[in-house]
Formats: sequence, structure tokens, C-alpha cells
Amino acid sequence: MLSMKNVSKVFRTDLIETHALRDFSLDVKAGEFLAVTGPSGSGKTTFLNIAGLLEPYETGSYKLDNVEVTALSDDARSALRNQKIGFIFQSFNLMPDLNVYDNVDVPLRYRRMKSAERDKRITNALEIVGLAARMKHHPSQLSGGQQQRVAIARAIAGDPKLVLADEPTGNLDSLMARQVMDLLERINEMGTTIIMVTHDPELARRAHRNVQVVDGQISDFKPYEPHAQAASVPAHIGAVHTPATAGA
Amino acid sequence: MFAYYLRLSLQSFRRNPGLTALMVMAIALGISVCMVTLTSYRAAARIPLPEKNDLLYVPNIDSWDPDNAYDKDKPGNAPDLQTYRDARGLYASTIPDRKVIMFKAGGVLSGGTHMVPEYVSARMTTGDFFAMFETPFLYGGGWNAKADEGPEPVMVLSKETNEKAFGGANSVGKTVLWHEREFRVVGVLNDWEPAPKFYDVSNGSFDDAEQIYVPFSWGQIMELGSDGNTNCWKTEDIQSYQDFLNSECIWMETWVELRTSAKVAAFRKFLDDYVVEQKSKGRFPRPLNNHLYNIEGWMERNQVVGTDNKAMLIMAFAFLAVCLVNTVGLLLAKFLNAAPVAGVRRALGASRRDIFWQHLTESGVVAVAGGLAGGLLGVAGVWALRAWYGRFVQDLDRALPTDYSTFVIAVGISLAAGLIAGLYPAWRIGRAAPATYLKVQ
Amino acid sequence: MGLRPILSALMRNGAGAILVAIQIALTLAIVVNAVFVTEQRVTKIGRDSGMDDQNIFAVPVTSFEKDHDFFAMVRNDLAMLRGMPGIVDAAPTTQIPLSGGGSSTQFYSLPDKKGEKSPVAYYNTDDHGVKTLGVKLADGKNFTSNDVEYRPKDAQGLPGTAVVTRAFAEALFPREKEHLVGKTFYDDQSKPTVIAGVMEQMHGAWVGWDKLDRVMLAPLVGPGPGIRYLIRTEPGRLDATMSAVEVALRKRDPNRVVGKLRTMQNFKQSSYSGDSLMAVTLAVVTALVLIFSALGIFGLATFNVNTRTRQIGTRRAVGARKRDIVSYFMAENWMVTTLGVVVGCGLALAVGFWLSNQFQLPRLDLYYLVGGVIGLWALGQLAAWQPALRAAKVSPATATRNV
Repeated sequence: MLSMKNVSKVFRTDLIETHALRDFSLDVKAGEFLAVTGPSGSGKTTFLNIAGLLEPYETGSYKLDNVEVTALSDDARSALRNQKIGFIFQSFNLMPDLNVYDNVDVPLRYRRMKSAERDKRITNALEIVGLAARMKHHPSQLSGGQQQRVAIARAIAGDPKLVLADEPTGNLDSLMARQVMDLLERINEMGTTIIMVTHDPELARRAHRNVQVVDGQISDFKPYEPHAQAASVPAHIGAVHTPATAGA
Repeated sequence: MFAYYLRLSLQSFRRNPGLTALMVMAIALGISVCMVTLTSYRAAARIPLPEKNDLLYVPNIDSWDPDNAYDKDKPGNAPDLQTYRDARGLYASTIPDRKVIMFKAGGVLSGGTHMVPEYVSARMTTGDFFAMFETPFLYGGGWNAKADEGPEPVMVLSKETNEKAFGGANSVGKTVLWHEREFRVVGVLNDWEPAPKFYDVSNGSFDDAEQIYVPFSWGQIMELGSDGNTNCWKTEDIQSYQDFLNSECIWMETWVELRTSAKVAAFRKFLDDYVVEQKSKGRFPRPLNNHLYNIEGWMERNQVVGTDNKAMLIMAFAFLAVCLVNTVGLLLAKFLNAAPVAGVRRALGASRRDIFWQHLTESGVVAVAGGLAGGLLGVAGVWALRAWYGRFVQDLDRALPTDYSTFVIAVGISLAAGLIAGLYPAWRIGRAAPATYLKVQ
Repeated sequence: MGLRPILSALMRNGAGAILVAIQIALTLAIVVNAVFVTEQRVTKIGRDSGMDDQNIFAVPVTSFEKDHDFFAMVRNDLAMLRGMPGIVDAAPTTQIPLSGGGSSTQFYSLPDKKGEKSPVAYYNTDDHGVKTLGVKLADGKNFTSNDVEYRPKDAQGLPGTAVVTRAFAEALFPREKEHLVGKTFYDDQSKPTVIAGVMEQMHGAWVGWDKLDRVMLAPLVGPGPGIRYLIRTEPGRLDATMSAVEVALRKRDPNRVVGKLRTMQNFKQSSYSGDSLMAVTLAVVTALVLIFSALGIFGLATFNVNTRTRQIGTRRAVGARKRDIVSYFMAENWMVTTLGVVVGCGLALAVGFWLSNQFQLPRLDLYYLVGGVIGLWALGQLAAWQPALRAAKVSPATATRNV
């Protein structure tokens, strides 16, 4: 799915030159659930930005789904992000002035889909995350966990091949965190490759494979093992609690 | 606390010089435009002798054509001048404490020690004129009722005329020739150019004051016509000067001084009685339309402040409104941008009111800065206006005086406007819960 | 693109948008009316006076000694003036056209004050009046020197012949526009005057009078002791000639008063000073309002972009191209501008209506409103263009930043 070879990213200001990534090489297979860990400032976020085509890099090569992205134009990269990648951010990044439905709608608009198609996908995505009943609500009316689930719905509405999650549970309590992780696992089971950046080793363990980034480079990794099917996965995660209860 | 808020405001300006400059400029321009138009308006609207506003009156009667109103745009208005017969008839009343009958004439003045003969404008008037209109004298004084009766060949010169005729020396007692007739100087006025020229608005509210003053009766002896407006509606065979005096042509003005309300009432009745009596003689074919105007009323009736002036003032204030809306928007933008900082302050113990006053102070500082800048710009604008007018208006200081009170008013308006503009933004920024801004955005 | 989500987002966070809309509305109302009134004043000032008003000046002269022969003075003065270099012609007159001072009276097309009637501004002059003023005779001819009456005493009634403007003649004889020459009109004592010539155009004394173009030249001089000379110079020679004339008049006859020389242009400017002040003020205010509105919209649009960098980054992250971001902000701005323009239209009409009633100005011409709408709409969009471009430059990586 994703193949980086000798990628380097340098941040230059007038005074300092920071090598965020040095000679970074990584291969991720389709369907993998990869956790990327490492201390603060190690370059995890930079890696995620580059993987998500959010930032350009200085040297090296990066192939996403067999497409070499180095020389792509900004428009082409945007299109790629739109079609192949779904993002989940630590601080949710929902549009505060749009309701839940319109928030999930945003990437689909850039795909220029017809409204019937969009509606189908949005409803579907919201059902998967268990928030279909809250379509008309605004983010300010939702708890942190619910907001993140809306963000997840937004990420998967377009059926991306790769989901990039940046500390997805960083702003959530342990109960909500667990449920978000359950969702991510479910998405992965449906065939989507997930790369999750986290500093929490507990969460990292739930992934298939861990990779540690230190000072801009990969430090060690465990080999890929096929993930055993979980005993029972609830069909609708959100439905465990009654709707009247506040919280995730 | 206020000093602290001031300091915070200045810091905020330093951080955002572009935005701050824009706001100050917006207010400054709005204020300066208002100031220039306000100056122009006030110059025209100024009530001269305000302390005499309820002492001096113009009797106004309608001797005009039964088939046509005097002013077709304002058919209710009577003519602003009177016939000779009516002026005399009104002047005969013993009710007023002081009274004056007058018209504007002209003729060549010569003699004196320095005089190059020159055509001068003359006010033919009775002696009460000087006391009623409070003319300042440099030398000597006016003349009394006995001089009017004669009439005695006396004259009062304007300061400028005295300079031309006698080099500015004390000319009381000296003689000059007017229309080749000898007159004795009894007084010389000091600088006196009332603006507006309220006692003769029908001939030009911003005209120069006359150059000499002569007892009224000389007009009839010398058979002088009016150098001002003369209007006749009736077909009359006017062959001689006497015919002209007896005609329905209007060319004279009267003013009266009435010191008590009883006298005002009595004079009103006198006016009515007079007109009724004239009607019985076949004159005054129009319906009764008598008025007694005080100075302010007279100026308003004659539209001394033109419609153009009013329209421009309104336009200026509309412009100020746009500038203020601009400022509100920019203040809102600025404050909301700084909301996280306010959030931190709230977390550290500032109440909503503290935040409100802090930001209102900032608005106030912007407003004052804008007002001062605007005031200065306005002064420059008035100066430019004077330069432009000066091409063809003879006496600028009269038409457009530098009015420092307008400057103060401008700064005052600016401060008020700026504070109002800042109310909503200052309130808004205090409103959100501090936590919203402290969270990672 | 989806305008509905943009609209609903705007409605939630309306304060900034409302302010821009109000600003546009007020600007439209002010600018449309201001431009309209300015254009009217400029047109009024620019009217053709019918005379060669750039090259004419006037000098008042008064005879004052008892045995001074007024008429001889006038004849000698005019003869001298007409012979001076640079002078096209000179003529006596009672008053100066366009000066705000003059005389007018009423005439009728039939005796006994019957028939059509019209007021007219009249100037008593001699047979050189037409050439001195530079007026064009459309029909008929000037009166001759024999027609000129030198009247020693103030008597009523005009001489039997006159040169009038077309406007005055047509007011008296509306059905005979082809045959105005030779027609007779009457004063209120039924004294007749025959139209010798018809001037195409001439302006009288009062520029604010709606009958400014009704003028009559009467062949009459006198009775004195004062009179004014109108002098027309060759183009470019006005200033030099004025000083020469003053010197020459004083020298020729020191026993009379030669007053202040003043050009017709100066009189004209003074008469129109109110109108030009209004035009200039309005033009300045209009320009300022437009500049400030543009700056204000620009400022608010920039602020709008700056506070939403995270949103912009997120949109880019989920696939928006640079131009999608630009069109988002332009569309948002377009909605606000449209709202402002719509409200502004109503406001402009209301203001126009109120102004025309309150101040007796003409009703607002819709042509200006359309122009104003288009102009302001364009201005609103243009002011938001650069901020929109800047928004597009926001890096998608902003979405992952946590500061």
C-alpha cells in the first residue's frame, strides 16, 4: 500500500535547521494496522503529514498504492488525498459551524458526487459509528468521544484505502478511547489499511505491528503477523448504551 | 485599573499596527468630513445676537398680488420686503421700544482728505439701527430721532470707508460729499461684518455690510431708488419718484424691538389693525397673513441655511455611519482574534466585566486617536475650503470662520461613536466561556 | 460546490458577515445618490451660456459731478474701448449676466395682459451688445444703432424693438416656433415691442432660476449716473487687456468713478459656487466611502481567513484543491455581498426618494442604481480576492498541528 524509501524532511528557519525525518524507509502492506510510536518530537507527526501528502519532502521516494507521489502537482495530491486517504486528527477538526451531516459531507463534496450518492454514504458512515440519530446536531452539542466518531465517519465516508490516525484518542477518556479503538479495528477488518500514530503503548499493542520512530528514523519493528478474527464484534458499537445516556 | 487597561491597549496596537491604523483612519476621515460640513453649516446657521433673539422682530405682511403668491414654491409666504407706504405706516407705531425703517442705496462718495471718489453702498436707515443691532463704534456714535426728523445731513462711515476717506483718522465732524451733497461724519464703525447679514437677508445673506449709513429721509429728498431688490406686481403708471413711493412695489424693511410679551401681543394686534384698515382702502387684496418673526425665525423662513447645506450635512453623517460600521467590524475581528488571551485572563481571575472594560478602553483609545486625527484633518479641510472659497468670496472670516468649538465637538462625537462601536465587540469577547479558548483549538 | 452548507455556516457565525453586508448596503445607498446628485450639478454648471463667457469682463463706471455729461462719457468711453488692441467689442449694460444681480419683468403675447405670459431677464444695451456678448442669432437680426434710445430720465417702458432668446419667444408664442421674428409682445401697460432677432441661447442673471435662458436685450442706454461696460477680448488676452482698460478709462476722464473690474468667469464661478462645492464634496465623499468599504471588506475577509486556518487545513487534508478553497471563500463573500447589495438597493431608493422630497431634488434615475449594484458587487468580490488566495496557500499540515 505505502512504500517510503530514504525520505528526508528538513525544516529550515533563519536560525535552525531541523531534520524531522532522515533517510526514512517504511513499507506498509494493504490491510495492515500499523502503530507508529516514539517520543515527542521524534518525527511521528511529520511522517504522518508526508504519508498523508500534507507536506512535501526533500529527498527520497514515496509510493502510495503504487503511485509515485514525488512529482505530483498540488491538485493531483489533493485528489489522491480525497480518494485514497481518510484522516482522523487528535483534536477532531470538525467544522464548528456545520452540523454532523454536513461535516461528514465535506470530503464527498470535493469528490463531486451526486447528492443521492453522498447521502447514501453519509448515512452509512454515521450508522457505522453509531451517530445516525445526531445528524442535525452541531459539534458543540456533542461530547469529545462523539465528535471523534463523527470525524471517523468523515474519514471513512469516501471508502478510502488508507486511514491515517494522529493520536486519535489523545483527547478522550479511557472509556471513549476504547470505543474509538474498537471502531478502528472494525474498519481495519473491513479491509482498510490503518496507520495510527500514538504515544500510548497500550493502544499500540492493539495494532498488528508497531514501529518506533526516534530522531527521524525507524528504530525497530516487529514482523507482520496476520491478525486473528476477534471472537465477537458488536454490529453497532454505539448501540451498547441507550441513546438517552450522555457521553460516548 | 484604567491605566493598566491603557497600557494593554497600547501593547495591542503595537502588535497589530496595520489593523489599528485602518480603524483610526476610518474614524478620522468620517469625523473630518463631518467637521467640514458642520463648519459650513454652522456658519450659515449661526444666529447673530442670540441674546436679542426674543427682542428684535420683523413685521411681515402680505400686500401682494391676489392672483399669484409671492413665492410659488411656498405659497403661504408673504413677501420679505414692504412698500414705502407700509413701511412708514408700521414705523409710525409707538408700541416698539426701538424701531428702524431702512433700504439699501448707493452713490458716489467723495471729499475727505484721502478720498478717491468711489461708488459706495449705503444703508438708508433711522437712528435706532445702531443700538438695535449693536454696531461697534470706533469714533463717535449714531444719530438721534431729531436728526432723523430734520433730516440732518449726518453720516456714519464703516471702518474701511473711513480708511479710504480719511486715512483712518478720527473724522467725526468732518464733511464728505455724497451724491454731490455735503454730509457731516458723526461716527465711524469698528470692524463689523455680521455673517449671516440677518438684517437684510432678502438682498443676500452673505453680502458685505454697507459702506456708509445715512438717515432714511434723505432717500426721499434725493429721490434714491433701491440698490437692493425691488419687486412690483401691480400694473401702475409710475412716472415720477412720488408715484414710485406710492406704488405697490416692495423695497423696504422694518425691524422693531419689543421688550415684553405684552408689547409683542400689542404689536401683533397693531399689525392686524393696520392691514385691516388698508384693506378697507382697497389695498392688500390677499387674505390676512401677518407674522412677527424673531431673528431665528426670520433666518429660517428665508432659508439662510440652504437645502444644499442640510443635504451635505446629512451626507457627511451617513459617511460617518459607514466608517463606524467599518470600525465595529474591524474591532470585532481584532478582539476575537485575541480571544485566547482573554480566555487565559479569565482563567487567571478576570471577571466578564473586567474583560469588557479592558476592551471598551481599547475602543475608546482608538476613538480618541481617530477623533484627534480627524479633528486635525478637519481643520485642514476647512482651510482648503477657505482657500477654494477665497477665489470669489471677499471676506472669508465672515463666510467661514475657524470655529474651535467644532473641533471639540468633533472629538466628542468621535469618542462617543468609538465607544458605541466598541460595545458589541467588547461584550462579545467577554461572553464565551474561558475553557473554549484554553482547549487546544 | 454546495452553497447550502456555506449559507448555514454563515448564519451560525453571522456577526462579521452582517457587518460586511451593512457596510455594502450603506455604501451603495450613499454612492448611488451622491453620484446622481454630483452628475446633476456638474451638468448644471456645464450648461452652455450662449455667450463667450471666457473672454468677457465688466467695469462699472459712475459719473458724479453735476455738470458731467453722462451720455458723452459713455460714447467716448465706448469709442475708445472699441479702438483698443485685443478688444473684439464693447457695449454698455445695466447688469452683468450670470452675476446673480439683474432685473426681470413679465411680458404677454397680447395686450391687456392677455394671452401667454412669461417673465424675462432684460439687459439694456446698444447695438454692439450682441457681438460683445458673443451670442448667436438664430433668426432675424440685431437692432441697429438708430434703434438705440438714449434716455436721460428714468421712464417706464421699453423701446419698440428687442432681441430675445428662443426660449422666451417660444414661451410667448408656442405654436409659432418657425415665425418668431416680427412678433409683437406687450408689457403690463400694453406697450408693444417687436422681436427683431432671436438668440439661440443666452443665460440671464440667476443660475438657480428655472427660466435662466429667458433673456431680452433692449436697445436702451441711460439715464445714469452709473453704467457698466461689457468688454470682450480676443482669446488669451483677457488679463493684459483688463489692466490696460482700467488705466485707459481713468486717464481718459478722471472726473468720474471707475469701479472694480471683474471677469464674467469670476461672476459665473461665484454664482455656481454652491453647486460646485456640493459636487466636489460629494465626489470626495464617494471616493472615500468606496475606498473604506473596500478596505473594510478586505480586512474582515483577511480576518476571516486567519481565524480559520485549521478548518482550511482540514479541508485541504480531506481533498480540497487550492482553487476549491478560493471558491469557498469567494462564494461565502458573494453571499454576503449579495445580501448587502439587495438591502442596499432598497436603502438607495428610500434615500433617493426622501432626498428628492425633502430637498426638491429630482427623483433618482434607476440607471445609477444598476451601475451602483454592479460596481459594488464587483468591489465586494475584488476586496475578498486576495484573502481568498491567501487562504488557498494554507498548508494542509495545519490540520495536524496542535498549537
